[in-house]
Amino acid sequence: MFRLLKNTIKSGVVTTKYPKKPDIAPVGFRGKPEIDSNLCTFCGDCVNACLPGAIYLNEGEGSKSGINERIITLDCGGCIFCGLCEVVCKYGAIKLTQEYELASKTKENLTTEIRRKL
Amino acid sequence: MEKLNITYTKNAIDMADIADTTDLITILRKNFGPQIISETASGNEFYLTVKKDAAAKICDCMYHHHDAQLVTMFATDNRKTDGVFTVKYVFSRDGSDAFIILQIEIDAKGLDLERLQFKSISPKIPAANWYEREIQDMFGLVAQGHPDPRRLVMFEDWPEGQYPLRKDFDISSKPPRVKGTYEYKKVEGEGIYEIAVGPVHAGVIEPGHFRFSVAGEPIINLEIRHFYTHKGVEKLFENISIDKAVFLAERISGDNSVAHAVAFCQALEKIISVEIPARAKYIRTILLELERLYNHVGDIAGIATDVGFPAGAAHANKLKEYLMQLNEELTGSRLLRGMVTIGGVRRDLGGAPKIPDLLARLTSFEHDFRHLVDFLFDTPSLVDRIETTGRIYTDIAKALHVVGPIARASGIDKDTRRDHPYAAYSELNFKVFVQKSGDVYARTMVRSDEVKESFSMIGQALQTLQSLQSSQSLPDASIKVDVANIPDGCALGYTESPRGETVYWVMIKDGQIERCKVRDPSYCNWPAIEYAVLDNIVPDFPLINKSMSLSYSGNDI
Repeated sequence: MFRLLKNTIKSGVVTTKYPKKPDIAPVGFRGKPEIDSNLCTFCGDCVNACLPGAIYLNEGEGSKSGINERIITLDCGGCIFCGLCEVVCKYGAIKLTQEYELASKTKENLTTEIRRKL
Repeated sequence: MEKLNITYTKNAIDMADIADTTDLITILRKNFGPQIISETASGNEFYLTVKKDAAAKICDCMYHHHDAQLVTMFATDNRKTDGVFTVKYVFSRDGSDAFIILQIEIDAKGLDLERLQFKSISPKIPAANWYEREIQDMFGLVAQGHPDPRRLVMFEDWPEGQYPLRKDFDISSKPPRVKGTYEYKKVEGEGIYEIAVGPVHAGVIEPGHFRFSVAGEPIINLEIRHFYTHKGVEKLFENISIDKAVFLAERISGDNSVAHAVAFCQALEKIISVEIPARAKYIRTILLELERLYNHVGDIAGIATDVGFPAGAAHANKLKEYLMQLNEELTGSRLLRGMVTIGGVRRDLGGAPKIPDLLARLTSFEHDFRHLVDFLFDTPSLVDRIETTGRIYTDIAKALHVVGPIARASGIDKDTRRDHPYAAYSELNFKVFVQKSGDVYARTMVRSDEVKESFSMIGQALQTLQSLQSSQSLPDASIKVDVANIPDGCALGYTESPRGETVYWVMIKDGQIERCKVRDPSYCNWPAIEYAVLDNIVPDFPLINKSMSLSYSGNDI
């Protein structure tokens, strides 16, 4: 009993103050992937590399006629954070970030989109 | 008898390590010469094609007279090329770093595909039980004379005549659900009650059904039923590209991801016959041992929780968390994912923590761990509860081919790291710990000894990495060799995951995976729980279960 108490007191409190105090993931952490729309060329390499199919390329229709927009959608709900998209991207447009607070109440909030007019 | 076609490839193998196996093959040639159709060998794998009717006899001879254990068993569908199904039995002789793969061909040309049969070896080799039932479900090849021919992987609502691993079964097809029943074994008598537990459990764990027959508190029979989350992983492997398959392998059993990924990659590296850089070997070894560390510490925490000793559990969980944070710093993933790739590793460990700093931290963790173990084993209420609980006797463990720490706790001196060295294990000094009693105490002891040994192994590997960095002989710090074309072929890949021997058999054809057999350690260890709980009381079941650390996900593939 004495030993148990001694151990407990010696260890003290080890839990952190998160979420009051932010807990920052280490450098190199494989977190939420983000696409830089300025660098992205919509080549679709990441789409082909993605194992779970969490990145997809759509061609959107404008108001008048035909396809005039390309949309890349990234779905964190399906992402396995392997970082293959980052490896295959020749333009350095897609990167895994240190962001890990991804919980969301809706599926829509897990997806991000970038668009470009043709 | 056809001319024997023996080809040895140049893979550097130590002939002394496989001498036992070549001796055994000579014996087989002498005794079963006319039954052996052809022989090939590559590296430490010896393939023997034998006549269909002779297989059971040869298996029996190897198993009962020559200490060869059935490591895994599976079928392949070669109807497109040869018009046959094959069934392969992978054996490995105790103390020899080689595998004998016995194969039989089941002719399918012009025959009723519903009636294809092969002779069951389960009556002689109990470890074949689940494999043969799985082959029946997935390939529709009937194991003739199997003592328990019920379905295993497929459920009663799966229609007859649909065999998912046959090549003509389309991966996107969705067969209709049908009505059917599953017969549980009946235990009857005065005062005997059944307790049905699961498949949905209290707590966030995976599904599995446990049916106890009890007389008061003592358990007199347990029947387990699994595969509720059968995902068709082996079929999935055949339908994705090889580079993506590494990630799939990594996710088969969540907390054994490195062991699975390394086993898969090693199989492919054997097919390509490529040697990975020394640095990559050491990094893989470090990752494998880091995985063992957090798993074993987590299991010890679980055992402390299940005996009702939360103070011990809290200390163990604290250490597990520190270890997982270290994983995160080193690899970017708490579960060490995304590191292993075909031809080496994807990232170097040269990130933020420098090696001397890392060594210092590991030493402090080891100190904490030793303190924790003393604390746990000095607590009589804990030791009382785990001693003689959940015994798996050596003969049972051996017959079922139980693997990993559970086998070692039951007196079986077996460890893939030593018996079939891979990565950098042949260059490290380590001991394999064996306990005799086979109870929860022994399993806890084996784990705690292995944790201490893992700390030492990581230390050795890190020091070697440091010297590799400074040595002149290796100017480049390459961690990966480029793999362009993958030739046709097949090979075994194996690792010792925290749960035990993990085996992959991969066959490549035209740059695609033709067949990938995954044998997770839990597939071997689950049946042993039916024996471990006998004569124990129901409240000890969770403890026994935890001490065996069985994976549902790795089992239900």
